[in-house]
Amino acid sequence: MAFTVRGLKVPPNSASLEEARSRVFDFFRSACRSLPAIMDIYNLDDVATVSQLRSAIASEIRKNSHVTDPKVIDMLLFKGMEELGNITEHAKQRHHIIGQYVLGREGLVQDFGAKDQGRSNFLKNFYKSNYF
Amino acid sequence: MGLGSLASRVVKPSSRLLTSQNPRNLLHFRPIFSTTELHNADASAAAQPQADPAPPPPPPRTPLAGARVHFSSPEDAIEVFVDGYPVKVPKGMTVLQACEIAGVDIPRFCYHSRLSIAGNCRMCLVEVEKSPKPVASCAMPALPGMKIKTDTPLAKKAREGVMEFLLMNHPLDCPICDQGGECDLQDQSMAFGSDRGRFTDVKRSVVDKNLGPLVKTVMTRCIQCTRCVRFATEVAGVQDLGMLGRGSGEEIGTYVEKLMTSELSGNVIDICPVGALTSKPFAFKARNWELKGTETIDVTDAVGSNIRIDSRGPEVMRIVPRLNEDINEEWISDKTRFCYDGLKRQRLNDPMIRGADGRFKAVSWRDALALVAEAAHQVKPEEVVGIAGKLSDAESMIALKDLLNRLGSNNVWCEGNGPQPNADLRSGYIMNTGITGLEKADVFLLIGTQPRVEAAMINARIRKTVRATQAKVGYVGPPAELNYDHQHLGTGPQTLVDIVEGRHPFCSILKNAKNPAIIVGAGLFERKDKDAIFSVVENIAKQNNVVRPDWNGYNVLLLNASQAAALDLGLVPESVTSIESAKFVYLMGADDVELEKVPKDAFVVYQGHHGDRGVYRANVILPAAAFSEKEGTYENTEGCAQQTLPAVPTVGDARDDWKIIRALSEVAGLQLPYDSLGAIRSRIKTVAPNLLQVDEREAATFSASIKPESTQKMDMADFGSPIENFYMTDSITRASKIMAQCSALLSKK
Amino acid sequence: MASVVRGILKSIKDKGIGTFWRELKEEGYLKCLPDGNLLQTKIHNIGATLVGVDKFGNKYYQKVDEETQYGRHRWVEYAEKGRYNASQVPPEWHGWLHHITDHTGDELLMLKPSRYGIEHKENFSGEGEELIYHSKGHALNPGQRDWTRYQSWQPTKS
Repeated sequence: MAFTVRGLKVPPNSASLEEARSRVFDFFRSACRSLPAIMDIYNLDDVATVSQLRSAIASEIRKNSHVTDPKVIDMLLFKGMEELGNITEHAKQRHHIIGQYVLGREGLVQDFGAKDQGRSNFLKNFYKSNYF
Repeated sequence: MGLGSLASRVVKPSSRLLTSQNPRNLLHFRPIFSTTELHNADASAAAQPQADPAPPPPPPRTPLAGARVHFSSPEDAIEVFVDGYPVKVPKGMTVLQACEIAGVDIPRFCYHSRLSIAGNCRMCLVEVEKSPKPVASCAMPALPGMKIKTDTPLAKKAREGVMEFLLMNHPLDCPICDQGGECDLQDQSMAFGSDRGRFTDVKRSVVDKNLGPLVKTVMTRCIQCTRCVRFATEVAGVQDLGMLGRGSGEEIGTYVEKLMTSELSGNVIDICPVGALTSKPFAFKARNWELKGTETIDVTDAVGSNIRIDSRGPEVMRIVPRLNEDINEEWISDKTRFCYDGLKRQRLNDPMIRGADGRFKAVSWRDALALVAEAAHQVKPEEVVGIAGKLSDAESMIALKDLLNRLGSNNVWCEGNGPQPNADLRSGYIMNTGITGLEKADVFLLIGTQPRVEAAMINARIRKTVRATQAKVGYVGPPAELNYDHQHLGTGPQTLVDIVEGRHPFCSILKNAKNPAIIVGAGLFERKDKDAIFSVVENIAKQNNVVRPDWNGYNVLLLNASQAAALDLGLVPESVTSIESAKFVYLMGADDVELEKVPKDAFVVYQGHHGDRGVYRANVILPAAAFSEKEGTYENTEGCAQQTLPAVPTVGDARDDWKIIRALSEVAGLQLPYDSLGAIRSRIKTVAPNLLQVDEREAATFSASIKPESTQKMDMADFGSPIENFYMTDSITRASKIMAQCSALLSKK
Repeated sequence: MASVVRGILKSIKDKGIGTFWRELKEEGYLKCLPDGNLLQTKIHNIGATLVGVDKFGNKYYQKVDEETQYGRHRWVEYAEKGRYNASQVPPEWHGWLHHITDHTGDELLMLKPSRYGIEHKENFSGEGEELIYHSKGHALNPGQRDWTRYQSWQPTKS
């Protein structure tokens, strides 16, 4: 994926938090604009909608909402742009997109947590797999 | 026969000729030679000076494949020299066996240690001093002071000649042959075959025979070793196969157009040294070097045959026997060998709950277990019933019993053991003589059992004894086909009464027997008057001195793999009619219980691996692992505990049996105190320590004689046959397509 | 040229003006007018021998004489007059057309084993996903291979 990295120019550092903030919004917009193309090249119509993917991107960004250092934000933005470039260049495969953005971070285990409080490790492992 | 050992042995003498060094140093690498000195072996042998005054004594070698020598008396031992190395063998052994004890592997095709000697392949030629010609070692008895040479140029040249003749009419179709990779002819031709053929004529071809749905024949590949013919007549006891024609028209065949109707027919696949007889269901499915072998135990009957499951990835590709002299020798029944396609069909892969509309819906384990736990708490303790199935392992059965005990119920049993099993005396439900012990018996009395369909390997053992010692067999039960000489004494309990009162002609035979063996079928467990019958049988045993300090001839032949372990663990129902009043029924793979008796409003949980009879009544289905996918302990009918090992992963979302019960116990708030197989086994140790003595037969300590007399009235109804169809007895075999074909084609009409 | 005009007039007289017009349309003479390629092929066809017609209706012509340059003496008139392209030539005629062999497609078809071999399909790129050839493992191939190695029990209403 060297060509992608070469194609991306590292922008100069953000001077202030405001500038970094506006860059994040720019990035979000450009990501949203490329969503129809992404739906098309990965055949995602039967598994996701554009709005779902949009909220997935938004939640990925919100996950880092506690970051206040403009330098760190710039770094995270660069990573996001790289990821977006990889996706739009079809450098990923369909199951990557489904796994990372359609199913989300938790994967298939949706109802994990509160119910299993106070259960033994055996039972937690039992619910996951036969082999432990 | 390892190819490597053969090749190194071929190369070794020629390298000695060339380098005249100590050959031991050369054993570590295998030099490759052109075959020139092999072709003129005589000349090179002559070239070597015969006067080799004191050859260094060759290194002592260990006997091959654990060959054991048993001297009945010391004067029977004779000494022979194999390649200059002295070895003591019993009188009457053949040269080939003597060589095996000396650690020399003689190439052979027709010789098989469990079959009679034919001596027709001539591959085992060795040189014997003072003998004008090379002798066929398999048919030549060893004589005292015999000097056997197995790696002389003469012997090698003779074998090369034999190999060339064998390959003359053998098709060169190894690339499409299923035996490729495990073929004796292929292996030995690497050692003794020429790199080119001198045969320019047209090869012989033979019409393929149809031997049924199990054995595929490509008769052109046959080298006429007659192993299959000898197996069929001697071990399987069917006169189906024979040798027809003479000379180049010689071929193996059924005399008339018919199928091979033996329950052991699959073993001809193993003993065929070439690809003439191969497995039909396995044809073109895999190569043997792609397969992973897992040494495990068969559960389709109570014998517990030792098998190797060959798997590729998540799929069981075939099942082959493993050598165990005490249980199955090296044979297995067709049901054991070919049931494996049942493991891939009708599998339960998700927990399911029956909805209000009567349809099953796949749910998560969490929801399924929560529902079961709730239902278990809503009924009274005495309305809870647990039934273990035919294929359950000991670990899951003890877990089931512990779970039900914690729920307050003791109504837990294993199907096939009848309503009132006698679990108090271990000698009352196992085969006290042991499977090998049957060979010492001289009179058999089979009561209500047809070993040929109930336990084919035991039947083979009885047949072996009958053939070897002309033991008498008396049979009481419905008309049956046993493949050895037997007297049909009667069909019902009346005959037993006659015998016990001394009115029956068989009594005198039984009286005069040195080691009489009585074998009672476990099908009698289901009878209402079982106590009365068993007390009559015990009287017969007492009268005829069947149970003595040095001989215990009282045997019960069980039907299912789980029965013995269930009785050892004390899975006995509290009341006879518990199933009629049950409100919560836990079926752990039990498919043959009378589900009509379960009340309509009862909550039925089916935990198992196949969608068989049990699931149709179930409210909740919990998918479990089959025997090929889990580690579990099984006890066979002679009381020998053995363990299965997982060969393939479980399908879908299935779990091991004991884990399901352990998880359910926690969801129900009655947590069982074990989290691992080791912990559950230490729990078993407190109940039945013999189940942990793996691969060891634990004999019963008390004999049956201290049992109280039964006052029950005997019902004079005839004995039934507990197994209707040999090929379809449990959920795995009922799901198998091959077994369905077999029962359609091979079962007696 | 005069013989051509005479031939046209004769066929109008034989078939009637309506039939003639329809055939003119079907044979693509009307399409000739905006499409120079087709017009040139039609002009070329005059005096050439028709060697064969394949199963799609493409016509293969050959003309061997002094004025035809060698190497340009075999050509095809596509059955599809509007959207013709080279992938419409089936494999059996491809060799003849490109001077790989002198056997015509009809001769080669007789050598083709009937047991296997799939029908020739023209290149449908850009015409819709469902028309395009997808290889066996492709996500859009309708004949997806089943990789589950066991068959699960299907609950039925009991």
